[in-house]
Parts: sequence; structure tokens; C-alpha cells
Amino acid sequence: MRKVLDALCLTPLGLCALVLLLVMPFIPPFNQEYLIRWMVVGLFMAAQAVAFDFTGGYINIVNFGFAAFVGLGAYTSGILCARFGLSPWIGMFAGILPAALVGFLTGILTLRLRGIFAAVMAWFIGLAFWGLATKLVFLTEGPLGLNCPTLLETSSNLPYFYIIFVMFMITYVVLKRMVRSNMGLAFTAIGQNMEAARTSGINPTRYRIINFTVSCAFAGWLGGFYAHYYGILMPDVMHTAKTIEVLVIVYIGGRASLWGGALIAIPFVFAMEMVRSVFAEYPGLNLIFYGLFLIVIMIYYPGGVAHLYEVLVERFRKPSSSRQPQTGGKIL
Amino acid sequence: MTTAPSQSSLAAALARGLKSPAGITILLSVVAAVLAAIDNGFYIIVNTIVTGGMWALVAMGLALVFGVMNIVSFVHGEFFMIGGLTAYFTFEPFTDYLMDNPNPMAEAFLPILAMLASIVAGIVVGVLCELIVFRPLRNRCRDQWVMNSFVITLGLSTFVVNSSQFIFGTDFRGIVSYWDYPTLSFFDVYISFDRFAVFVLAILVLGSFWVFMKTSKFGQAIRAVSQDETGARMVGININGIQTLTLALSSALAALAGACLLFMYPAYPTVGMGPLYNSWFIVILAGMGNVVGAVVGAFIVALLQVLTTVYFGEGWDYTIPAACIILVLIIRPSGIFGSEVRGVLDQ
Repeated sequence: MRKVLDALCLTPLGLCALVLLLVMPFIPPFNQEYLIRWMVVGLFMAAQAVAFDFTGGYINIVNFGFAAFVGLGAYTSGILCARFGLSPWIGMFAGILPAALVGFLTGILTLRLRGIFAAVMAWFIGLAFWGLATKLVFLTEGPLGLNCPTLLETSSNLPYFYIIFVMFMITYVVLKRMVRSNMGLAFTAIGQNMEAARTSGINPTRYRIINFTVSCAFAGWLGGFYAHYYGILMPDVMHTAKTIEVLVIVYIGGRASLWGGALIAIPFVFAMEMVRSVFAEYPGLNLIFYGLFLIVIMIYYPGGVAHLYEVLVERFRKPSSSRQPQTGGKIL
Repeated sequence: MTTAPSQSSLAAALARGLKSPAGITILLSVVAAVLAAIDNGFYIIVNTIVTGGMWALVAMGLALVFGVMNIVSFVHGEFFMIGGLTAYFTFEPFTDYLMDNPNPMAEAFLPILAMLASIVAGIVVGVLCELIVFRPLRNRCRDQWVMNSFVITLGLSTFVVNSSQFIFGTDFRGIVSYWDYPTLSFFDVYISFDRFAVFVLAILVLGSFWVFMKTSKFGQAIRAVSQDETGARMVGININGIQTLTLALSSALAALAGACLLFMYPAYPTVGMGPLYNSWFIVILAGMGNVVGAVVGAFIVALLQVLTTVYFGEGWDYTIPAACIILVLIIRPSGIFGSEVRGVLDQ
């Protein structure tokens, strides 16, 4: 049992949370269709947050074009399925290729430089793709939206909930295992102090490119789900605002933990959807909170929820042992 | 460089300058501008120069913040928006009043008043941002400063844009023109008085800014901090004060640009995006933190956009410049003029 848990990078507490999540769609207040929809969105955000944190938290490069990589995967898959009749299930995986390729090229070009260049470059690449998606109407239908076939021919959200749950788990387990390997040590070293990492024989550029490419590949894959869940794709899926949503969740959840952002994603999506529906006459009010949360977290509590949890665990354990808790705990 | 060089050494210096990346880029853009003007009419050059002057104001502030405070600012466009809003709310009530009691003198000076108001608003917002956001962050920790401050400007931008939408709604608040004077014409190109006046204003501000940076005590202190913060602290420069001044200056410049361009860019919550992207293109093209380079870069990017709009049509004017800037980043990440700022590349 312990071995299985360890292979899945879970703690008993994390397992409980996951089981609770799995049965959640059957517990009365949550078994309504629109709440399940929110949970699908929440899990989608959670999976994105994990992929984003893999770069942002470990090698300390904010992939500012993250939404564009998601959108690239979504559009690839959407166009292949809508125009060439490919099955959405295969299309989803086809989205990985261009996202990873563009991520790889971006990485080769900018990751030998300081981190901020990669962030700015990714932003511009995102802008360029957003412009292309808007203007290449013959391919993408532009702002009118591209109609993509959905994964299933059902109007129920429940199957999608389990699909995205599986996708989320795969993202989490694969990335967490990478982080726990020797490669992950290299990532952390590079993120904390690049010069020191270089001195101890790590080739920072190589590891950063690997990290960036993997993160982009997952972004592309998740984009495929987006395309075939909503069934319609608009260029705004690549907009910077979408990146900011993921970024806020990751920063509140706690950088360099992978599970922090995932844990916070569903409650956060719920809270924001509630704000949005209660104050329906003030669109954008939830975005004011996004901005405020980000500022406050950055200034006053940069560790986020993950750090808070570690502090609590440490306090709880203090009398019995003085062992330091592992950085980036593994509740989930 | 004050003594007059001999004829031959001047020619040699010129030749050397032309072979540098900056020289080649400038030469190429001049050639492109001339060719396009021959092909399409002289208005291309006039448009480039007039819009370039304004982008120079915005980009210069961005370069300054980057050079002195090491902040990769995402919130700069919001200062532009605030400037536009302030100018609108100063200008409109008085125009209504002047409709009823015409007064040519007041009509001529009212736009100036609106621009002054936007400068004041820019200074206030800049100082507030520094005091409430950047200083606490700086005091907490300076590790990973570039990335952290970048993320925090993202938060600020999201906050300001949506608060503005919350308070003022999504209406377009624009004006038809500041000065209701007849159109001017140069070389068969017609240009509205507003555009001309705003261009002259931009040149004036750029000039006085240059004098300020070169001669005044504050300007010298700002340059000292951008070159070496520790050294500046050692010779007794108040770093906190200089950083507040820098942010105030840069946001005032952006706000002024927002006020000046109110007749082209009506104020609405997300109006700042365009100027922000433009000034980022400029700053990267010129070299991060290079303030003088930003002025030249502004005209090059303006030309790029005018040409894109003429030859590719509307809607491509971010994609194609973005692609060009990506090329610049690939070939010369420090920009065509090279970055003056050491600190940024080290962090």
C-alpha cells in the first residue's frame, strides 16, 4: 500500500482528498449539472497549474505565453478533427506535438539567457499566435469560433469530469516523479541559484530546455481537452488573461510544490464563479480579486498555501522529531 | 566628443557607426521608409514621425523603470489609460461650459490643462504604486527580484484594469479633437492640428527630459542608480527616493501620452494593452534599459506598424512586429543598441 502511494506521489491525506473528489459529483449539493461543470473547469485549471508550476516553481521561469501553448494544442487538435475528420481522442494527443516543438524552439533560443528573456519571448510568441488565430480565418474561423467535435456525444458533464480527473492525475504523477528524480534536483538547484548549479557541474541550459519542453507538451495536451470539451474555440483561449488565471492559482497555492496550485484550483474556481454569479451586473469583479490576491501573496506570503501547510505540519511534529519536512511536501 | 573632429575621422566614425547593428537597422528602416513613401505617398513618413513621437514617450518611461528599478513592468499601459481618463474628465466638463460661453483663449489652453492634470495623476499613481507595492516587496526580499516584480506588475495591471471597468464601465471615453483648428498640410499631406501639436509637445518633453537627465542633480542621481546601485548608495544617494522619483516620472510620461492621444485612443479599461505591447517591442528592439535607444526604437517600431497596416491591412499590426521582435531577440538579445544595464542581465 505504502509503495503504491509512493509511486503515485501521494500521502494518505492526499489520497483521502482525491477519493473525496471522485465521489463529490454524487454528494447532494454538488450533484447538480452546473456545479459538476465548475468542477471540470477546476480540475482543468488544476492540471494547468501543475504544468505551469513545473516551470515557474522549479526553474523559476514564468512561462508567460502558457495560454498560447494550451491554445496551440487546442487549435491543432480542433483543426485536425473539424477539418480532416480525425477522432478527438487522437487529436488530443496530436496537440502535444506543436506545443512541445514551439516550446523546445523557444527554449533553445532563450533559455541560455537570463530567465526574464524566456518569459518575455514566450509572451511575444503568445501574442503572435493569438494574432494568427484571429487572422487566419480560413483555418481557425477567427473570432467567430471554430466548432470542434466533442469527445463524447452526451450533454452530461459527469464523463468529462472523470476524463479530466485522469488527465490531471497523469500530469501530476508524471511531473511529480520527474521532480523527485535526480533531474528534479537539478531543476531546483538551477531555480535557486544558477551560478551555484553551474559550478557543481549541471548544464543549466539543457535542463531548462527539458523542463520547458515537457511543461509545454502537457499544456498542448490539456489544450486538446479544452477544445473537445467546450466544442468551440476562440482566439481568446490564447490571451494573456488566461495565463494570469493559471498564474494566480499557482502563486496562491504555493510555488514549487505542484500540489499547492492543484489543491487551490477547485475552491478558487468555485469562489470566483460565485462572485461572478452574485455580482453578475459587475463583470470583471472576480478579476479585481485575482489582481489583489496576486499582489498580497507576492508581498506578504510568497510561499502560498503549500508553505502554510508545511509550517503547520512542522509545528505539529515538533515535539517528537526535529526532522525538516521535505521541501515541496507531497500531500496530493 | 566636444572638440570638432577632423573631416576624415568623422567619416571613419560614421562608417563604423553604419556597420554596427544599430547603424544597419536605422539605415534599413530609412531606406524602407523612403521606398514606401515613393510607392505609396509621403504620408507614410509623416504618420511614422507623429506616432513615433508618442511611442517614444511611453517607451522611454518603460526603459527608465527597467534600467533604474529592474522592474519588467506590465502595468505601464495602465498609466497610459489613467492619463487618458484624467484628461477626458478634465476636458469634457469644461468644453460643455465653453459651448455656452465661448472664449477662444480658454479653448486654446484647455487641452494643456487636461494634459497637466494627467501628468499630476500619473505622478500620484506612480508614487502610490511604489509606496504600496514595490517598496514592501523590495523590503521583504530581493532574491529573484526581476521575476517577482514582473509577476507583481501583472497583478497590478489586472487590478487596475478591472477596477477601472468596475468604476467607469466599458464605455469608450474619447474626444473628437482637442483643438478645433483647420488642418495643416505638408508636402500634400494633410495632418490635423491635434496631431501636429501633440508631436511638437512630444519633442518638447523629450528634449526637456534629456536636459533633466543630463544636467539636474536628480537626473544624475537616477543615472547613477541605474549604473550601480550599491555605488550610488555609498556616495549618499537616497535610493528609495530615487526609485520613487523614477516610477513617478515614468508613469507621468505614460499618462501624458495617454492624454495626448485621447483623440486617437479613447480611454476604456484595456486601452493600455496596445501601448504596452508597442513599448515592449521598442524596449527590446533598442536594448532593455537603454533610454536614448528607446527614442530611436520608437520611430522604427512606428514605421514597422505603419508599413504593416499599409501592406498587410488592419489587424496584423501586432503579429508582424511581434515576429520581427522575436527575430531581434534571437539574433541580438541585448537589442540593437546594446543594453546599458548590467544588473538586469545578472539577476
